[in-house]
Amino acid sequence: MFRYILKILRYTALKSKNSSQDHTSNNGYNEPIPSDLKKSREIIENILHNSSDVSVHEFYFGNNRECKGALLFINSMVDKEEIHKNILQPLMYGTLMFGNDKNLDLSDIDTIKTHYISITDCLKITSLGDLIDKLLAGTVILLVDGSKEALVINTGKRESRNIEEPGTEAVVRGPREGFNENINVSISLIRRKIKSPDLCVEKLKLGEKSKTDVCIVYLKSIANPELIKEIKARLNRIKIDAILESGYIEQFIEDAPYSIFPTVSNSEKPDKIVAKLLDGRAAILVDGTPFVLVVPMVFIETFQSVEDYYSRPYLASIMRIIRFLSYIISTLGPALYVALTVFHQELIPTSLLISIAEGRERVPFPAILEAWLMIFTFDILREAGIRLPKAVGQTIGIVGALVLGQASVEAGLISPIMVIVVSATAIASFAVPAQTDSGTILRYIFLALAGIAGGFGVIMGLLVTLIHLTSLRSFGTPYLWPIAPLNLSALKDVFIRMPLWNMTKHLSAIIWKDADYYRQAPDLKPSPYKNDNSDSKQKE
Amino acid sequence: MRKNAAHLVIILLTIFLFSGCLGGREINDLEIVIGMGVDKGQDTQDIIITAQVVKEAEVGRTSDESGGGKAYWNVTGNGKSVFDAIRKVTHKTGNRLFVSHSQVVIFGNDLASEGLQEYIDFFLRAHEMRPTALILIAEDQAADIMDAKPETEKFPAINIVKLVKSYRFTSHFYKVNMKDFVSSLMCETTAPTAPIVKVMEEEGQKNIHIYDMAVFKNDKMVGKLVHEETRGLLWVLGKVESGILLVPYPEDQGLLSLEILKAESKVTPKIENGKIVMHIKIKQESSLAEQSSALNLTTMSVFEKIEKAQSEVIRKEIMTAFEKSKELNADIFGFGRMLHKKYKNEWEKLKDRWDEVYPTIELDIEIEAKIQKTDLLVKPAAPGQKEE
Repeated sequence: MFRYILKILRYTALKSKNSSQDHTSNNGYNEPIPSDLKKSREIIENILHNSSDVSVHEFYFGNNRECKGALLFINSMVDKEEIHKNILQPLMYGTLMFGNDKNLDLSDIDTIKTHYISITDCLKITSLGDLIDKLLAGTVILLVDGSKEALVINTGKRESRNIEEPGTEAVVRGPREGFNENINVSISLIRRKIKSPDLCVEKLKLGEKSKTDVCIVYLKSIANPELIKEIKARLNRIKIDAILESGYIEQFIEDAPYSIFPTVSNSEKPDKIVAKLLDGRAAILVDGTPFVLVVPMVFIETFQSVEDYYSRPYLASIMRIIRFLSYIISTLGPALYVALTVFHQELIPTSLLISIAEGRERVPFPAILEAWLMIFTFDILREAGIRLPKAVGQTIGIVGALVLGQASVEAGLISPIMVIVVSATAIASFAVPAQTDSGTILRYIFLALAGIAGGFGVIMGLLVTLIHLTSLRSFGTPYLWPIAPLNLSALKDVFIRMPLWNMTKHLSAIIWKDADYYRQAPDLKPSPYKNDNSDSKQKE
Repeated sequence: MRKNAAHLVIILLTIFLFSGCLGGREINDLEIVIGMGVDKGQDTQDIIITAQVVKEAEVGRTSDESGGGKAYWNVTGNGKSVFDAIRKVTHKTGNRLFVSHSQVVIFGNDLASEGLQEYIDFFLRAHEMRPTALILIAEDQAADIMDAKPETEKFPAINIVKLVKSYRFTSHFYKVNMKDFVSSLMCETTAPTAPIVKVMEEEGQKNIHIYDMAVFKNDKMVGKLVHEETRGLLWVLGKVESGILLVPYPEDQGLLSLEILKAESKVTPKIENGKIVMHIKIKQESSLAEQSSALNLTTMSVFEKIEKAQSEVIRKEIMTAFEKSKELNADIFGFGRMLHKKYKNEWEKLKDRWDEVYPTIELDIEIEAKIQKTDLLVKPAAPGQKEE
């Protein structure tokens, strides 16, 4: 407790010290841009510590080359060709060749902007702080001698990855595009799916050094205003030097930081994000990462895949049930095996018990140690396989399969049934990617409980987990909704997926109660050759 | 915070280190018993337990391989009580016997005729025992039964279970488990029954054979029911699952084999003028599975005759069973229990002289026998019966 207070005290002391130096808004350079070009250049170079990648290009322009200007930019972040074509050429040749026919004042930034610069993305600024910010963000700054203003010109595009299929969420049927590291591209992908004025994008900058662009995206008429207010409040709390990935933000805004269950979901797929926006959720886009956060999150979301809605409902329902079963197997598999073979042998059918006993005949370890060894080795294999380059990664697979699967059984270290149990568990754990973390942790916990107290221990563990899950909230939404609290109409989309035309209601726990919004007309069930009296249209 | 974490670690450590794993036992330490035989020692009057223990190391091997022996070990122990004998087995096995998977309990003939009551208590009281374990009576010594190595199964005990469960093909005997047996035993009137198992020497090969049902009066074995008598009992109990009825064809010397498809029974006890009459209504369906005569039987009038003959066969089976039970004065049908349910007041008077009352009971049997189908042939496979 005292430690915590001390920590806060220390932080506030540090903060006040820093802010007295240069930590106010806009880097503390709030003074206006001086009109003298030479002076402003000096000041700017000083602020940037003469960094080598900052280019300053001075040039003369005008009818008689009487005006002096300077372009400031960061070498690696601008499109130089565009600078030549659309800034320097019109300014230098244009003013020279066609003369100052209208007696335009070439030292006025507005004149230059409206008459010479053939780029749309221009902005006039007056403060030095803004200038530094924009310069560091990768724009070109045009300074003109004798003017107290500067022109920010956004040239060309930032280099970014192509729009590719996300590696973490491959689909068989559905759009293959994924977000990329450029936040503008990501926003455009969402905009392209919802062409409605309803879609709101609110931008803010987080990170005192990184100044990362963070966008809150939501549908104005559906998203609860309280939710948006809460998200903004939580985001504005974050005082940190840099945001490198959306995971940073996730850890600062989540409801239950000590829980092993995530309360903020993420995705790389625009169609998934848009589907969630249409449920009344809000997305948080972070520049520099393709992973977009979505709040609020409920537990069953992890078992729903976008593909469920693209394919017909029958297979989708079966797959969903399989996902639920997989999660149960992946968390309880080894634990149940240990509980059954060590504590409740009478529950195993006789012939199975005999073959288990036969397999375990030479195994020197107790069942729990055996299970623990296998799971542990599997986790090592998985971690090693992720980090290794593809060519070497295959070797790991072979070594794992041969050494663990076969050799350890032949050597009598592990019983063959344990290999089956652990591999089934391992495969099952990948069926529900969003809960792999919690599944892995729970697997170890349940295994320990099963080793201590058998089925009793497992049941106790399940109860604690269940109580914890029911107590969780994500931005005000109960985590186990719609199972607890029960919402019957929402159950249409939990364990099975009803046909789309049947799911007329929206997710009542998440959507704004005052929302004047319906997803679909109530009578969309298709039927062959029906004389449409357009009843349904009149009703609406 | 740190203090709490330390407490948590200590609590977890104590759970892990001092819990002693709450009675968990590794499979390696188990002696899995799949069947037990109970005998009486010839001289010592001790109880001899024969436990069939699985030899895990031998299970995977075939007996042809070198060193491959029996996959089981019949280990014996003797003591003054069943439990005493079972515990004394540990002197030979080194581990406590794990009897949860004991599928059969076989009692020697000596014990059965002497009375099972004092030996059966343990098998229901012990929490590890299954009440669904099958109970059988050995023709002679239970230990011999446990040692007859079957041809297709690895374990004699499992083989016996398989044999007992085959009752559903013939209904010549039926399976009785511990719970059924004891619930009949504890009833004042009902006579428990149990299948009898014996070793038959055939061409130098010892084979296990289940052939009769032992009938108990109280806890002592008093007689046997042969195949037809057992089926007569099962007709009344409604437990006939399948079987072959041999029906003589009424107008020919041929024999018809009818396979029983379905059988239901309803027994209503009635006391009429001081006389106890059991109204038994049986509904039976069968298929014509085989015929030895060359006559075409598939006409309605013939069918009716066959059905009549068929119900006569069933009636005969029931009556022989009933005569036998009267002879033994053992209420194998559980008529006493039925009367008790329906006539509570009268039962108080009947109860004490049940042994005198039982032989005076009359049966009123009503049989509704039907032939559902003739399987793949309509006409018999005989000369001159070509299909038109």
